[in-house]
Formats: sequence, C-alpha cells, structure tokens
Amino acid sequence: MGEKQKRVFFGAIGIFVFLCIWYVATALTALGTVMPDPITVFTGFFTAFVEPIGTHSMTMHILISLRRMLVPYIAGGVLGVLVGILMGWYRVADAILMPYIQMIRPIPPIAWIPLSIVWFGFSEGSKYFLIFLACFFTIALTTYNGVHSVDETLVRAARMLGAKDNQLFTSIVLPTTVPYIFSGLQVALGSAWATIVAAEMIRSSEGVGWLIISGQETGDMTQIMVGIVAIALTGLLITSIMRGVESKLCAWTVRGK
Amino acid sequence: MRMDSERQVVPEEALIEFRGVDKYFDKPQEGRYQVVGDLNIKVRENEFLVLFGPGQCGKSTILNMIAGFELPSSGAVLCQGKPVEGPGPDRGMVFQNTALFPWLTVMGNVEYGPKVRGVKKEERRKRAQHYIDLVGLQGFENSFPVKLSGGMQQRVGIARAYCNEPLVMLLDEPFGHLDAQTRYLMQDELTRIWQAEKRTVIFVTNNIEEAVYLADRILVLRNCPTGVKAEYEINLPRPRNYTDPEFLRLRREIDAVVDHTL
Repeated sequence: MGEKQKRVFFGAIGIFVFLCIWYVATALTALGTVMPDPITVFTGFFTAFVEPIGTHSMTMHILISLRRMLVPYIAGGVLGVLVGILMGWYRVADAILMPYIQMIRPIPPIAWIPLSIVWFGFSEGSKYFLIFLACFFTIALTTYNGVHSVDETLVRAARMLGAKDNQLFTSIVLPTTVPYIFSGLQVALGSAWATIVAAEMIRSSEGVGWLIISGQETGDMTQIMVGIVAIALTGLLITSIMRGVESKLCAWTVRGK
Repeated sequence: MRMDSERQVVPEEALIEFRGVDKYFDKPQEGRYQVVGDLNIKVRENEFLVLFGPGQCGKSTILNMIAGFELPSSGAVLCQGKPVEGPGPDRGMVFQNTALFPWLTVMGNVEYGPKVRGVKKEERRKRAQHYIDLVGLQGFENSFPVKLSGGMQQRVGIARAYCNEPLVMLLDEPFGHLDAQTRYLMQDELTRIWQAEKRTVIFVTNNIEEAVYLADRILVLRNCPTGVKAEYEINLPRPRNYTDPEFLRLRREIDAVVDHTL
C-alpha cells in the first residue's frame, strides 16, 4: 500500500470505529435518550435529498448555504488580498490600517449579529456581512505576511538581472505571496463555513444552519444531527477542493506537494 | 552568442576599477566600523580574478559594490570608466545561496534576465537553451530548483547570470555550501564553461586550493578593513592538477602571507 492509500485506509477505519462507538453508546447507555444513533441520523440525512425538510430538499439547503457563504467569501478574499498587498507594500497604509485590523479581528462574528440586523435587516445582506467579517481579516493578514516574507536576496538577484520596480512586484513579490494567500483562503474557508450557522440564526427558512435552528425549535434531535452532518460533509468537500486547487497552483512549494 | 563589437573596452583600460575605496557600515551597537580601506583594484577584460582572504573580511562587500547593491563610502567604483550607481544587467552575480527563483523552472530562471529586459520569447528561449546546454543541464529545463541537487542549482545560477551576457561575472563563494566532491567537480565545470565562453570573472573564495585552481590572478586580501595584501599571477596551464609540484609551491607561498588570526 502506498502512503496515500494507507492514509485513506486508516482514516476509514477511524471513522468506522467512531460510528460503532456512537451506535453502541446510544443503544446501551443513557446517551440514547438525548441523541439519535448514527443509522437514524444518516438515514435522515440521505432521505432529506428526496424528501424535503421544510420547503427544500437537502441539495437545495446545501446549495443555498454555499451561495450564502461563497458571495461574501469571494468578496472578502478579493478585498483581503488587495488590502494585504497595500499594507505590505506601503508603510503608510500599514500604519493607518493595521490598528483597525488588529482591533476588529478578535471580535467573534456572532458579536456583530445585533448590529448587522440593524444595518442590513433580516435580508441576505446581514448574513453576507457576518461571513465577510469571518474571512476578510484572515486573508488580509496572511497576504500581508506574504508580502513581508519576500527574500531580500531574490530581490537583489532580480535587480541584478535587470528587473524594474513594477517587474519586481509581479515577478518576485506576487509569487512569494501566493502560497500565503492560499493558506489564508484555506483557513478563511473553514471559518466562513463555520459562521454559516450563526448567520442563518439571524432568520432564515432554509440552509444547513436553519436545519439546526429549526430542529432546536421543534425539539427534533435527528434533524439537528442531520444539519451537523450536512455541515461537516460539505465542509470536508469544499476544503478538499481548495487543497486540490492549491497544490496545482503552488506546485513549486514544498507545501504544495 | 557574444557580440564583441558591443564592447567598448580599450585593451589597456580596466573594465572594473576601484579607486581609493573606503566602506563603512553603521551598526547600532558597535557604531561605525570600516570593512574596506583604501582599496585599489584594476580588473582586466576576460581575466579570471580571484579575491582570496580569510573569513569575514569584506570580500562580499567588494563584490556587492561592483554589483551596485552597496555604494562606497568614499572613493569610486568604476565600470568601463563610469561610476557604479546601482544594480544592472551588465554585472551578473552568482550568489552563495544560489538565490534562484523557486517558483520558476530552470528555463524560467535562466531566461528571467532577457525576459525582464524585453527580449522576444523565441530569441530568449534560444539563448537560455544555449546556456542551459553549456552548464550541462539539458533535460532539466522544466524542473523546479527544489528538485535539483546543490551542484545543479549552482549550475542554474551560473547559466542565469551568463544568459544576460554581462560584461563581468561576479561569483560570491558560489561553491561554499557544496560538499568537497561536488566542489571539485564544479571547479572543473566552471573552468570548462569559462574557457568555452570567455568572460571577465571576479570570484570570491576563502579556499586557497580553489583560488590557485581557478585563477589567472589572485589578490590576497587583508583582514578588516580589507585591502590588497599581495598579488599573484597564476600561469599554470589548464586543466590544473592539485598535486602538481608547482601548484603546491604556489599554494604554500600564498598561504604564508595570509592573516591566520581568528
């Protein structure tokens, strides 16, 4: 077995053992009264693809949540990269913007819920706002660190070979920064997806976060677990896709391999 | 590949010249200290000049001043009679730590110079291929530097500097990080490359054997502040032999004048 197959093999065993413990624990102990067993949960999860929960099927719940996450994620990504480069390249921008970033970043996105409702109402806007906050700062800071990690000898080498300032930026600074941008995008994707529940708590009638909230309101334990499984599996899927893109684009780094 | 007509060097005139150069560095703790003192050097066209001296005596600073990364505190560094004001493609550097661009392939690295200077793709590819072949890396054009051994990486460094067709090649202890066996091999290779396409080479080393093996002329440098302590013309035929009696005699003679203080 190769390294990769080994990883998949032991990963699969780990999941199987976990499901067995879950099953036995709910069947034999008091845990069974507060938590459905895995067979019920996964049956509920897959049934939801054909039988809608609320007004939508599982596919729609996932797609709606993905759209809610992707719009502000892309906006936060583009703006974060631009602001990160701006701060990394110009000292003045660094001095002006850095204090704000350091102050706002540690505030958890859910702390913004009341304000976001006042500013954006119960529309999609308030959800976009929360998820934007969850990813913008991470991406801006990792990009900034990337620009700052440019190797001085490579700059010298480029100048020695005849590169001008703008060529220095595109041929040395940007390539150095790309792996940092990707690690920022990767982390931000995780937090953006994690914030989806908080964002859908504001008020929604669909989405994976809504599954959990409405399960809580109706006391439907299985639906809550189905929502959690949907978030977990979709999260796994999108971060794997992201890692695939990264290893294609950063083939030259040791990280990309 | 080389256009000799582009060269405007009058034979008797020095290609690179140091005129009474002093260099001071300001360190926050130690204050101002002198690394180079009253340095006078003339470099002839197409000679293989080795700057040889102990440890941290400012040899790299001399190269950095020719490259234009550092400017002299007083005196003048002249390239073809004009003061050096900054880095430029007429002075190609091979760095000790290779300084290859890790996101570019071997081809990408070698053609970088012509590319940023606006040479058309077809023309620069042809030129880059010529130098890749010259340093013996054919077949590795599409490899990334991280996949290459230390010796091969330094071959890329040499090809990259050569590909810009500079007036002078500056080599800053390029084989310092290589193991002894690879180092000997690379010394042979550099001699072969230089004989195939003559360039003015200024080579910095703290290895006396390497100095005698490679040089047309050796300048033995004093310790800080550095200046020329002695000069040797090496007229041994190439390829040279480390165990040749004349080689060993020169080696002993030079060793006797070096500052051996720590």
